[in-house]
Amino acid sequence: MVSISLRNICLDYPLYGAYDFSLKRRLLGHLIREPGEMRIIRAVDNFTIEAEAGARIGLAGPNGSGKSTLLRLIAGVYPPSSGSIAVQGNVMPLLGLNAGVNLDFVAEDNIALLLRIGGRKPTRSVIDDIWAFTELETRMQRLPLRMFSSGMLMRVLFATATAFPADILLLDEWLSVVDEHFAEKAEGRLLNLVSQAAIVMIASHDQKLLRRTCSSIINLDHGRIASTVAVEPPATHSLELREKRA
Amino acid sequence: MTQTQETLNGTLHKTPRRPLVLHIFKIYYPDLFGGTLTVIRDICASLKDAFSSAVLVCSQSAERREIIVNDVPVERVRSFGNVMSLPAAPAYPWRLWRKIAEHDLLALHAPFPLADLVFAFGFGANRPLVVHWHADIVSHAGLRWFIEPLMRRTLRRAKAIIVSDHVLVDNTPLLREFEDKCHVVPFGIDTSGYDWPKIEPHHVNDRGRLVLACGRLVPYKGFDVLIRAAAAHNFETWIIGEGAERPRLEQLIEELGLGERVRLLGSVSDSERVKLMCLADVFVMPSVTNAETFGLVQLEAMAAGRPVVNTALDTAVPHVARHGMEAITVPPGDAEKLGEAIDTLIRDPERRRRMGLSARTRALTRYSASAFKQGMETVYRDAVAASSAERSPTSEPPQATGWLDTVRIAAALAWSDMRHRYVRSLLGPFWMSLQMAIVVAVLGSVIGQMSNANMMARLPMLALSMTAWTFLNSVVLDATTALQNSASLIRDRALPPVIFLLQCTFRQALFALHNACVPLLLWLVLSPHDLSHALAALPGLLLFIACTFALSLVLGALATRYRDLKPIIESTLMLAFLASPVIWSSDMINHRSTVMRINPLTHLFAVWREPLAGAPIDPTSIVYVLITLALLIFASVLTLVHLRKAAFWI
Repeated sequence: MVSISLRNICLDYPLYGAYDFSLKRRLLGHLIREPGEMRIIRAVDNFTIEAEAGARIGLAGPNGSGKSTLLRLIAGVYPPSSGSIAVQGNVMPLLGLNAGVNLDFVAEDNIALLLRIGGRKPTRSVIDDIWAFTELETRMQRLPLRMFSSGMLMRVLFATATAFPADILLLDEWLSVVDEHFAEKAEGRLLNLVSQAAIVMIASHDQKLLRRTCSSIINLDHGRIASTVAVEPPATHSLELREKRA
Repeated sequence: MTQTQETLNGTLHKTPRRPLVLHIFKIYYPDLFGGTLTVIRDICASLKDAFSSAVLVCSQSAERREIIVNDVPVERVRSFGNVMSLPAAPAYPWRLWRKIAEHDLLALHAPFPLADLVFAFGFGANRPLVVHWHADIVSHAGLRWFIEPLMRRTLRRAKAIIVSDHVLVDNTPLLREFEDKCHVVPFGIDTSGYDWPKIEPHHVNDRGRLVLACGRLVPYKGFDVLIRAAAAHNFETWIIGEGAERPRLEQLIEELGLGERVRLLGSVSDSERVKLMCLADVFVMPSVTNAETFGLVQLEAMAAGRPVVNTALDTAVPHVARHGMEAITVPPGDAEKLGEAIDTLIRDPERRRRMGLSARTRALTRYSASAFKQGMETVYRDAVAASSAERSPTSEPPQATGWLDTVRIAAALAWSDMRHRYVRSLLGPFWMSLQMAIVVAVLGSVIGQMSNANMMARLPMLALSMTAWTFLNSVVLDATTALQNSASLIRDRALPPVIFLLQCTFRQALFALHNACVPLLLWLVLSPHDLSHALAALPGLLLFIACTFALSLVLGALATRYRDLKPIIESTLMLAFLASPVIWSSDMINHRSTVMRINPLTHLFAVWREPLAGAPIDPTSIVYVLITLALLIFASVLTLVHLRKAAFWI
């Protein structure tokens, strides 16, 4: 059973300044009784959500409203300061595209390594499938990624990251980084991936994308839920009206 | 990746089992009597319908470890005396850690820095903690700089802090920081035991009026002040209690010639004490420091309807019995004022009666046992409920990836690192082997010049030592930057940070295998081939690798958290290298220097080099290495607990 359950989750994000990384400074601070006040920002504030299989949740909100932090929290990157978190299912966090890429390696090796990091066995046929999706020439598989244009690089990374379905998919600002020609195809693949996943959470500024892909949109503000909007799949009419008025 | 985290609030809906409360303190009955212990005992007794209690304390007696006191199981950890008011019980932190898991709520009776130490290391973070703030640290204030951060950590993770009076929050800077967590629950007293038929005091005592004091005979109770006050006036003074101060007090009584009028009664039973309270004319609490936070005995005296003389401390003491209403409050440590106050009451029976009456009323209404019970129960219940509602996933280690996956991914990353070396050069890591060969050749010739021993026979060992040293050195140095270099994988792909520290060991092990071809070739050419020695060296080598990995884990995490550690680690490693027999063997220096013998690196090399050379290992080395490994493993466990926060550091 795939589910995500967050109850009253808070995350206090410690902001380490240059001095906070210094042990000497910290020890000295104790000796001269300087209060080593750690600055803390509440990145996620009393967040509660229950998601069952089939949930498509969009996270919207301005920069710094805690979208990415929330996704990382669900992925287990950050430990919550308080609250209970229970995630059941296979989580695939795709929060940054460049993670784990070595530009000196040939494309093929990079794909293999990325698949291994994701816990998959890179077989010949899997790599060929991924390569077919990128629509790049086969001989480029043997070229180091350093020689790729950024658009080509994105194609490879996107194709690799979306090669396998997952129970829970966490996406952060995804389609905006994919180049234009590729965008349509990429979105098709992403929607396909989304349809296979039991739970999807997408953080994005792109309201249209969120409305196309999600069943509900949570607007975040300073780590709190500002509003939750249910999206009716066919008619997004009323929402558009509201948006125009706003 | 699979995240299987048990939903813990399930426990809430189970049958209403009484939650288990663990009371944590330094000492308990029957080793001592006193206010704090009375409070613990009363909490256990009055909450027994809602909570089942257990007590974990230290004891110097070698008797049974597990005893039952008033139906409450008490585990007493062996202590070997007191060091600065703290029991020297090395096993206590361990027992506490073991006990934490079995209980639903922890009640720490502060101050008790030994327990703070356990909490400061992050143990027991998954159980709700309630701190009963009995007193601040008054003695050994010089150690404050060390103790206070520990206490602050404990208070920070506490769900609630219970104080007996709000004045404690106002007057304790540490508590003010956590004001929103503080709950004021005044101690309560069951007044029914104090309804004794009135005994007319003058029938009992014809020499004068009876002044009673009660408490452990310790300096802060200020009984010496009371004795000096008695010298100037004509009243009878009885002091109930036992303690280390007794010889001094006896000497003082003798010096002042008060043997007739001042008596130290020693320990008496509860019922006897109540009887004495009802008998006395005036109850005195001459405490001199803020270690006295409440003065439960003065509350008992109030329940017995006695007027009180107490001292103007910054604690709840003058608030429980208020000046002019239930008590006369005098400056602490002032024998003259104390004597005058007592004398005033002795000479004024009407005032005594009036004050005694209002004292009893206050004890009945303001400090009732039922209010205490209710307040305590509310705080405990809230703490348990809040924690089951918001129990963080620490309780079930969020093993995002199984251990096997961790190792597998680390191995894949290390393998790819090694392949990376081959990408742009044909020789790849063998360049390093070449370099190693040159270093060994140069060192060999230099050392050959210095000592007249046969250098050729020693070359394979030198080469192997250099390989091993390079391995240790690079693993640790790599680890100091590993987490920062893999920031994106940790934050964006949610890989556990430990993978990247493991990766360093794997990667350098692969490189070391490349380097090992130098000693291998030298060995094949220069030495008699005896494989049995190599087999004998294997356990030692494994110890060496284990220590290296544990060291890199600890230092890697520390250097990520504290960036200024890296240069320190670098220079320390270099020093350790120079002060160890890596390049020279021990027989080259006839008597090994002290520094070299202390240096763990010496022994870390000895455990595999000696058997490889066909010599027996010095048992000291084995013990030394095993102790080092044990310490490192302990530190690694701590590190693993804290690595959960690594994503914040990078």
